Amino acid sequence: MSQPTGTERSDDETRGPLSNWVDSAIKNPKKVYRAMFYVVVIFFLFTTLFPLYWLTMIALSNSNRVSEGVGLLPAGFDPSSFVEIFQQIPLHLYLFNSFVFATLTTIFVLIVASLAGYAFGRLEFRGKRTLLLTVLIISFFPPAAFFIPLFQLFTQQIAFLGLTPPELYSTPGGVVVPLSAIFMPLAIFILTTFYSQIPDGLEDAARIEGTTRLGALFRVIIPLSAPGVATAGILTFIAVYNEFFFSFLMTGTAAQDWAPIVDGIISYQSQFQVRYDLMAAASIVAVVPVAILVVVAQEKIVSGLTSGALKE
Amino acid sequence: MATEQRQQQQGWNPVSRVLNWMEQLSEEAYAYLLLAPAFLVLFTIALWPLWRTFRVSLFADNLFGAAKTGEFVGLQNYIEVLTNQNPLLSRPLIDLTGGTPFFRQALLVTLAFAVISVVFETLIGFGQAYIMSKEYRGRRWVRVAIILPWAIPIVIQGMLFFLLFNPSVGFLSDPLQAIGLFGSNPLTSSTNAFVIVTVADIWKTSAFMALLILAGMQSIDKSLYDVAEVAGASPWQRFRHITLPLIFPALMVAMLFRTIDAMRIYGIIEASGAGCGTVPSLSCLVVDTMFGVTQAYASAATIAFITASIIALVIGGYLVVLKLSPEGSYQ
Repeated sequence: MSQPTGTERSDDETRGPLSNWVDSAIKNPKKVYRAMFYVVVIFFLFTTLFPLYWLTMIALSNSNRVSEGVGLLPAGFDPSSFVEIFQQIPLHLYLFNSFVFATLTTIFVLIVASLAGYAFGRLEFRGKRTLLLTVLIISFFPPAAFFIPLFQLFTQQIAFLGLTPPELYSTPGGVVVPLSAIFMPLAIFILTTFYSQIPDGLEDAARIEGTTRLGALFRVIIPLSAPGVATAGILTFIAVYNEFFFSFLMTGTAAQDWAPIVDGIISYQSQFQVRYDLMAAASIVAVVPVAILVVVAQEKIVSGLTSGALKE
Repeated sequence: MATEQRQQQQGWNPVSRVLNWMEQLSEEAYAYLLLAPAFLVLFTIALWPLWRTFRVSLFADNLFGAAKTGEFVGLQNYIEVLTNQNPLLSRPLIDLTGGTPFFRQALLVTLAFAVISVVFETLIGFGQAYIMSKEYRGRRWVRVAIILPWAIPIVIQGMLFFLLFNPSVGFLSDPLQAIGLFGSNPLTSSTNAFVIVTVADIWKTSAFMALLILAGMQSIDKSLYDVAEVAGASPWQRFRHITLPLIFPALMVAMLFRTIDAMRIYGIIEASGAGCGTVPSLSCLVVDTMFGVTQAYASAATIAFITASIIALVIGGYLVVLKLSPEGSYQ
């Protein structure tokens, strides 16, 4: 060991691959970091994916044999549950409704929160802290605290400042409007944080070039904060798609009444005898569209537009 | 010359006229203008319903009449709920006499859940963000796999964990029972169901932390790391002196909103089949009192406001820490 060059070769032959690896690792610690890194990667892949793999195995099981227990392989291979879920209810319509809610809310929240985030992040004005704190405090309340007055308003039982809005219950508005308000605080805080980190010089340069105030926001600040905007957008979209409370209570239970995926999944639990394989299959079908969205959108988050010379 | 021409054209176009008008505003007026849409929405959809709910909490419950509330009682609802004297609650908010088990008191369950889940989600989120930020083959799919649980609707997350711990279908309850950690039907025991709900939440929500931390990491200038490496900084030193201070604002926003969310935990409790009777969180108590057998609106409104006040206290603590910390230049 004390004379490495002379003895290394014979060590290789006598001590096996593991101790060789340990030897080289001691000389080159980077190798250890790399190995540890891959162990962590595999660990996270396993913990996040295994439950979903197992759910797929339940969906592929034979409906009569599910209750025997499902392990690494399905209990009796039978993929027909993926067809049956669509025969029982129009699952695709429930999915469509959820997508409409999530898309509309995300667009609305991103526009409104961008304007607010710019004001909070880059402008000085009186009452800034108070207003920012108001935004934060709104998110302290459980959704149930908003529910009864909004439900009465949306079913036209009461008026708001003397105005009665059109009946929003069982329309996209009935879900999009409250969820926009509920998820807006998070978007405002994310965008405020990211916008405030853009150096002033870049915005000033654009203004000197003749860009309007609003133009500076949309052509300079927002593009430079692309990871932040994409993150806020994805978080909002997914949060709406996943939302439980308003989606469930502000619509009827049929797909024609704009019921979202929550109602679709629940109807497998209530309508028929307990069919775990159908519940699992419907869950997987509901997850696939969001998964595709995640694949597409995650590129945006890490596009690294703000890295390099743009940062001070 | 080109700019002159453009300015002349702007006089004609109504859009340009609005843009021109914006140029004339003072910074303060411009800020208020930009905030107007957000506050219009927040006022109508959030503050106005909250004001109505708050008013209801000052009246007595009226369980049998057409009107949901009776006479004005001031803060009496608040006193009754906090001293565990409100007979309409399915579980006490807090029972100082010690007559109720720990995991049956809404406040204690909620606080325990918030602390445990936020700590684990932050640590795991860091790990996940780190491996999502490195360059290697197949990174794209690793990222997707890590974000995937966060994209899963709560109903489905609930069903997944219901099935995993279901004594007949699932494979987790038998071994955990064999080593004596869980009882024979874990989802009906308050302590076991608490663990299941917490694990389910960590499984799903770590990705939320990871995404925000990752977005913060992506905004760091890469050359800082090159300089540090040349200077001989170890990976830990690079993390401690470059990554951590620079992502601190994003990390704080993430932890702040995670804590708020954790303290309002509700969906997964119902969806996993544990139920609000077994794991009585604060939000559970609001929903149970409002829509359950009693339909006591005033009591429910009271608990909603107490919940918000408790969250305000916790978040106040965060903001104080943020102010005192050396990196707390944010805001």
